[in-house]
Amino acid sequence: MLLQIIINGLLKGGLYALMAMGMSLIWGVMDIINIAHGSFIMLGAFATYWLFTLLGVDPFLSLLPSIAMLFILGYIVQRYLINLIIRSSAFITLVLTFGIEIFINNLAQVLWSADVRMVQVPYGAANFSIGTVATVPIVRLMAFLLVIVISLILFYILNRTTLGRSIRATSQDLDAARLTGVDVPRTYAVTFGLGVGAAGAAGTLWSILFPITPMMGGILTLKSFVVVIIGGLGSMLGPLIGGLILGLTEAMGTNLLGATYENLIGFTILVLVLIIRPKGILGGTD
Amino acid sequence: MGNYRLKNYLICSLILLGMMLFPLFNNNFVIRFGTDILMFAIMASAWNIIGGYTGYASFGNVVFFGIGAYVTAILMEKAGLNFAVAFVLSGFGAALFAILIGLPVLRLRGHYFAIATLGVAEAMKALVQNLELTEGNSGIYLPMLDLSVKSQYYFFFYMMLGTLVVTLLVTYLILKAKFGYSLIAIREDEDAANSVGINTTYAKTMAFALSGFFTGLAGSIYAYQQAFIKPGPVFTVGTTVKMIVMAVFGGIGQLFGPLLGAFCIEIISEVLSNYFLAIHTLFFGAVVILAIVFTPKGMIDIASQKKFGLAYFLQNIRENRV
Repeated sequence: MLLQIIINGLLKGGLYALMAMGMSLIWGVMDIINIAHGSFIMLGAFATYWLFTLLGVDPFLSLLPSIAMLFILGYIVQRYLINLIIRSSAFITLVLTFGIEIFINNLAQVLWSADVRMVQVPYGAANFSIGTVATVPIVRLMAFLLVIVISLILFYILNRTTLGRSIRATSQDLDAARLTGVDVPRTYAVTFGLGVGAAGAAGTLWSILFPITPMMGGILTLKSFVVVIIGGLGSMLGPLIGGLILGLTEAMGTNLLGATYENLIGFTILVLVLIIRPKGILGGTD
Repeated sequence: MGNYRLKNYLICSLILLGMMLFPLFNNNFVIRFGTDILMFAIMASAWNIIGGYTGYASFGNVVFFGIGAYVTAILMEKAGLNFAVAFVLSGFGAALFAILIGLPVLRLRGHYFAIATLGVAEAMKALVQNLELTEGNSGIYLPMLDLSVKSQYYFFFYMMLGTLVVTLLVTYLILKAKFGYSLIAIREDEDAANSVGINTTYAKTMAFALSGFFTGLAGSIYAYQQAFIKPGPVFTVGTTVKMIVMAVFGGIGQLFGPLLGAFCIEIISEVLSNYFLAIHTLFFGAVVILAIVFTPKGMIDIASQKKFGLAYFLQNIRENRV
């Protein structure tokens, strides 16, 4: 029983980690808290849903088109909208992304109605058992492994490529980066695209495991915050650890208190971590 | 100088007189719309105290609105108190909550404060949804106001108007006093404010409490007006966004900015929802985006600039883009 709860928690936590990675990247590099993050996750989920429903594309295969679409969308939104006010006070950008969230969510609701939808793959129910104590659903395990693969790719881009070097340089010192020839507006837009692309990937995986609606984004944004705050900004490891912690705590907490307490648990952790250890438990360099 | 001041007082009195006479010349529907504008004007003005003057952009001010509404509902329905008592206690309840939550949360700055307040509001919503006392998601009914329909509309309009006037008057008096200068000093440079001997913890906690107090009063009137409240709509983060956008649109850190913003944004929303019923929330998102991109300093700043129209917007964008 306990093992099953831990497995469920960890598998869901992996998804939380991926959601938070994109948010953490954008926050760390540009100092923007993207409230619309959950809406981008929702768009990724619906991209997968429509590719699956209309064209019969396997949801795991739709990962690539979903990431590509969301990357382009993120690039455009940053370059031509957020960039216009990026140097005004921090909370102005926060309100702007709130506006983007309202816009995207309601557009999705007008286009696709508020119905709850599912991506039902034929192999959705497959699972294997660990002894007699626990079962592991195959799709969840695959999603978890994909999260790890995507994190490694993101890690590689950030740490081993020229693009990654210019992103890190811009994040450390904007003016110095500009002086050494980094195209700052482009770097910002690409970073935002990468973060939103990661959100798209998270959305694709989410749609395979859970029901989706146009309004699902808000709570996912808040969960991404919780994860970023728990793990702390400034490293790729932060969101990963934060995600697993949130997944585990939620699984244990809802088991003890009941499913209606899931959100209360998350937000209580958020506020407590912020008060006790605002830089996250890894204590990243902000 | 004396002349200038006299002129200002005269303009304010005329506007106030106009608002007081407003219900006499309008039907119930329009009075109700005016009441909504006033409610948002109270909340945006209250947000201005902590977000505008003190520089702590709270993203959870709706929590005070919700607490005000629920304190009123519980005191009237479960404890059988009358509205006057419940109204005052709602304000103090919200202020007390602001102090308790503010002491730890106001130690955070910038994004972290914003997220923490957002988290507090969401946690409170989740708590109210689960508590027995608040009857969870099924909501609470309040006793009805025992007046004729027309008088009810008048009652709530003047309650909101009176609360707004008190909110603005208190803000005005604060700005004239040493306390107001402390708040602005905190906004400009908190460490410097601390080092010249301002008790910043006290000042910002009090600012947060005042902001909570008036927002709680608005929540109290709202609950009585609705006669039925539920956690979802009362604690919605959309209300926080609305008050911030109104404050930004009118002018942050300006006494009458939020009032102007509330007036403009509510009218825009109303027109949009009349013409595009199904998709008016979509347009509200667009209004937020446009308001932020084009008027990050507010309408009052536009009015005081020499540049107008496109030139002003382009200058703003040039200043703020990378």
